[in-house]
Amino acid sequence: MRWFRFAVLVLVAAVLQAGLLENFDFKPDLLLILLVFFGVYCRTSDAIITSFTIGFAADLIGPAMGPQIISFGLFGSLLAYLHRVIVIRKMPYQALTIFITGLLTGVLAHLLNLLKERVPASGVWGGLFGISLCSAVIGPFLFLPSLWWMRIRTHRPSRY
Amino acid sequence: MLFTWLMLAGLILLFAPQNITNRFQFAFARTFRWPLSIGRSISLSARSQQPPDDVVARREYNQLRNYADNLEQTLIQERKRSKKLYGLYNKYIWDGAEFVLAEVIRASTDGPSFELIIDRGQNNGLAKDQFVLGDDAVVGTVSDVWLHQARVKLITDASSNLAVQIGRFKAVMKGAGAGLAKIELAKHRVRTGDNVYAVKKPAFLDSPIIVGTVINCQSNQEHPLLWDITVKPACDIEALEGVAVIVMNRQK
Repeated sequence: MRWFRFAVLVLVAAVLQAGLLENFDFKPDLLLILLVFFGVYCRTSDAIITSFTIGFAADLIGPAMGPQIISFGLFGSLLAYLHRVIVIRKMPYQALTIFITGLLTGVLAHLLNLLKERVPASGVWGGLFGISLCSAVIGPFLFLPSLWWMRIRTHRPSRY
Repeated sequence: MLFTWLMLAGLILLFAPQNITNRFQFAFARTFRWPLSIGRSISLSARSQQPPDDVVARREYNQLRNYADNLEQTLIQERKRSKKLYGLYNKYIWDGAEFVLAEVIRASTDGPSFELIIDRGQNNGLAKDQFVLGDDAVVGTVSDVWLHQARVKLITDASSNLAVQIGRFKAVMKGAGAGLAKIELAKHRVRTGDNVYAVKKPAFLDSPIIVGTVINCQSNQEHPLLWDITVKPACDIEALEGVAVIVMNRQK
């Protein structure tokens, strides 16, 4: 795992999410896409660390510290353990994984935000669905440049 | 193990005081303020190319949103009042009785006098000696009325004298301060927990309404055959925010 490249990637994603994509209603969650990317392509221990780190980055640009690190950490780790059993390589499956992970992390983060009394005024569930859907559509295409940047080689099954 | 430690760190961040955890967010915003501001300005300029019909000025938007928020709050208040009135009218079937709902402007519940100032007065049909309900129990009577306000003398006020009944036994209850009322020199012994009702009073109250419950009944020290009864109000007067004044046979 190339940790420096990982840090740069996460910081760029966080800055883009909080800056460029902030004012759009229908937008992908770049950090969610990265969460699934590292969950799908990394070893379990690396995936757990990246999940919590990406969650921390999501908290830095979110309404409060704590909810995202827990939700991203929890579901990213679950995804990493799931990756031991199921290899998710096809783009439709990756999209479905992003969509489901987006919904789950979003719901848990919202509940934890309720605990901290930092709740957006309205439209939480609609926004969550929209972001998950958009991330699922765009996410698999962002996996390719991420694979190149992280110098991760995907294993191709031999013919023989 | 790794997962456990990282989760613990996350929980610490979640439950740490907001003013401490905010420092991380401020540090991030300070460090990356230049790329963040560029990104936001690009996205704002992209959005501003939308048709002008769909866009209103920020100030107008804020005004409209504040107006909508205020309207929503008013609606909630009106719903509460309507629900309260509906409950009152369905509970007490009195001919010619009306309930005037009032908000408590000021409450004196720990000084020499125990009274409320409410935001309804003569204009709303209020008059002296009318009964005042709080949480469906009598909390006092109107003692002074002005055009738009009125003073309610609480049953715990030392100068309050209210005709009450406990079972078949009738007496006069006086305020004792400290959130209590008392009936001195009663001829009958009552049990702790017995309900105390305000007796009906023509033109003011058509049927008995609960005032409180007996919390103590002991024999008088000077007159051992008579009883001193302590009454606790049925309503938590200190927590009252609104009351209902019973207006009988209101002239339209």
